[in-house]
Amino acid sequence: MVNVLKAPAGVKLALMGNEAIARGLVEAGASVVTGYPGTPSSEVIMTLHEFGAGSEVYVEWAVNERVAFEVAYGASIGGARAAVTMKAPGASVALDPIVSSAYGGVEGGLMVLVADDPGPHTTQTEQDNRWLGFLAKLPLVSPSSPQEAKDLTVSSFDLSERIKLPVILRTTTRVNHSIGEVRLGPIRPPKKASLFKKDIPRFVRAGMLWNLERHKWLNKQLAAVEEVFERVSTVPNTVEGSSELCIVTEGSAYNYVAEAVSELGADVRVVKLTLLYPIPKKFLSKALDRCDKVLVVEELDPYLELVVKSLLAELDARVTVYGKSTGHLPLEGELNRKSVHNAVLTTLLASKVAVSTQSHSVAHQDVRIAPRPPPMCPGCPHRNMYIALLMGIARAGYRRDEVPVFGDIGCYALGVQPPLEAIWTEHSMGASISMAMGLKVAGYDKPVVAVIGDSTFYHAGVQSLVEAVHKQVDVLVVIADNSVVAMTGHQSTPAWSELESGRRSRPVPIESIIRAIGVDYVEVVDPYDIDSSIATFETLLKKPGVKVVISRHPCALMEARLRGVYRRYRVVSDRCVGCLACIRVTGCPAMFFDGSKVKIVEEDCLGCGLCARFCPYKAIEVVKLG
Amino acid sequence: MVKTVNIAIASVGGQGGLTLSRVLAVAAVLDGLSVRTGETLGMAQRYGSVVSYVRIGARVFSPTFSESEGDYLLGLELLETARALRLLKPSGLVIVSDTIRPPVTASLNREVYDKNKLVDYIRSYAETLVVPAQKLATEVGNPRAANMVLLGVFHRHQDLITDTSMRKAISEVVPPKWLESSLRAFELGLSFIEKR
Ligand code: SF4
Ligand code: SF4
Repeated sequence: MVNVLKAPAGVKLALMGNEAIARGLVEAGASVVTGYPGTPSSEVIMTLHEFGAGSEVYVEWAVNERVAFEVAYGASIGGARAAVTMKAPGASVALDPIVSSAYGGVEGGLMVLVADDPGPHTTQTEQDNRWLGFLAKLPLVSPSSPQEAKDLTVSSFDLSERIKLPVILRTTTRVNHSIGEVRLGPIRPPKKASLFKKDIPRFVRAGMLWNLERHKWLNKQLAAVEEVFERVSTVPNTVEGSSELCIVTEGSAYNYVAEAVSELGADVRVVKLTLLYPIPKKFLSKALDRCDKVLVVEELDPYLELVVKSLLAELDARVTVYGKSTGHLPLEGELNRKSVHNAVLTTLLASKVAVSTQSHSVAHQDVRIAPRPPPMCPGCPHRNMYIALLMGIARAGYRRDEVPVFGDIGCYALGVQPPLEAIWTEHSMGASISMAMGLKVAGYDKPVVAVIGDSTFYHAGVQSLVEAVHKQVDVLVVIADNSVVAMTGHQSTPAWSELESGRRSRPVPIESIIRAIGVDYVEVVDPYDIDSSIATFETLLKKPGVKVVISRHPCALMEARLRGVYRRYRVVSDRCVGCLACIRVTGCPAMFFDGSKVKIVEEDCLGCGLCARFCPYKAIEVVKLG
Repeated sequence: MVKTVNIAIASVGGQGGLTLSRVLAVAAVLDGLSVRTGETLGMAQRYGSVVSYVRIGARVFSPTFSESEGDYLLGLELLETARALRLLKPSGLVIVSDTIRPPVTASLNREVYDKNKLVDYIRSYAETLVVPAQKLATEVGNPRAANMVLLGVFHRHQDLITDTSMRKAISEVVPPKWLESSLRAFELGLSFIEKR
């Protein structure tokens, strides 16, 4: 495989948006890159790890997004070029230091990658982080393709250094996770810390007069952004065509516009914005000159729509603006070729007939296909943990529906799928413990349980646990420790002693943190030992105070990859009566019902033995592998 | 000018659908074509329904396409292929592995699928090649290479990507350990003729 980080300038490669951004970071000479894993942003740092950014560059995952941002910010005020990556909700975690950074500003360029997820495909909300520009008062740029993502990464640093502010590179899933052709550019040597000049009014936010002065400085900088952007950005704002029928668009949405306009053969002016904050007013006023109708095509909120409307009002131009507020494009979900095609047709081209969005399959709807939501993997230790927990609740004398299980963010949230349907909430990183506590302090008289993964615990669960201990709340906290950030592609956690980059690290064991916080009980169990797990849950549910169970077994996929699979299970056909107890208890995706018996897909079984434990007919037996 | 070709790849997460779209994208760029793919990534897709989109042409922008726009549907599993049929044009071609993986939700309800019925259903929709991809892949000693068998069959039925680029792309994308068996699986796909 071609090394995307080292390939020479001029070469054209098929790169995923995130690989292109990783290459852009090398081209820009970033010397500190950090972030917290989160789909769809993770592959930027994973690519830097896979292909080795070089010893001059610090590339590491951080414990959470705000720490990541602060690490990168610390580097950049010392003159280094730094970058930080996160998914959409991560920007909210990092918001406090992000907002303050606009007042101190930067020395070395600082790029903040925030990856939004219209759809949503893998995110709890359709948060639109374009508003971050307005909120944090930081320049924000948006690419429409992998090529632009790479080029804009480099330009973000140039803009950031000249304007002395962090620059937000805001992407969406269809850019991060789309492969496209990318022509590589030249590589600059990493720009490391040079000198951190002590400047108290600039970097100490404790002086209110200083803050007021810095706010004035910030507004002055923002006023200069458009002009500097035009000079340094290799991905400009563009206008194609001169028709009075106009489209304003940006990012992924541009792709659907480009194709709709060419396929309709329509004479339409297409205004594509790259700089989304501050609004490039000079450019946009000119670009919208003599527009008669404007269709705004964008994903998530009607952000550009508001911008365009307010600018047109300022210009005193009487123009009809179409978009989300007029119902021509949806306020939720992703856009696609057809929805944009139809919007162009029914607004600018004033056609009454839209292309049908119905497929011609309607007539064929005679085969019912059961849904296939992503389940926990075969052998997943979280499955064992949930089964033990639910059985422990029953053994402690409670009904399943009176002991709320507060979930958290990670693979273990998949425990919500049938047959387990184990968790009652999944909210935000670390919220399981604090929300369980909230219900308890409000007077709920049955036990409450919080289930949180190891990485999520490090990320935001520690403070919640401090709170629960300090306020002496009765809560059972299960830390589902599979020793890795599994959901986003197996990244390191603070428990590791050697990192993806090869760096030696000092493990920070979960036990030490928990003991230091001073919980009432802490037990470590192996969820593969299901019976002792059940007993532990049963005992602890009956005790008062903060009880922590560390349910520890490595991610089954990671374990299989590292150590191989040394045993599998199979169903002995003549013993199986087809009662389905095995599937009803486990929901393991390696098993299926063939009409009379259960079968195990050989290559999928990872040999956890859970199904065998629950077969009343001893029909499932182990097969040892060589 | 090259007309844009739309390919959908339907699979169960973990079956190798992403490798397929990556090989096609690399091959297209080697041939100097424009490409966009749209996919959903992440561990959480494993064992779930996955559709990848690949679009190849002279100048492609959109990473996905809408219903009834697909020229090809490559299916690594019958149920997922049936589910994704809506993406295909009636004049499109389905190339599908005869593998069936009933989802947990079906087994929980004692629902059972009949392979022949599913194949008939898919055939009633568009021209379909049913390939014993799993069996052929097992023959080359790499049961995970069913995707490469399908790629071979696809390669024979398309004239967009050159032979050299397709093979070069496979060797760039597939890890060295699996390369030889993958190329053999590709060969088996290439020479596959459906017997009905
Ligand atoms: S629990 Fe045992 S007997 Fe019942 S369906 Fe499963 S394998 Fe067959
Ligand atoms: S042993 Fe049973 S439950 Fe465990 S992975 Fe294999 S089939 Fe699934």
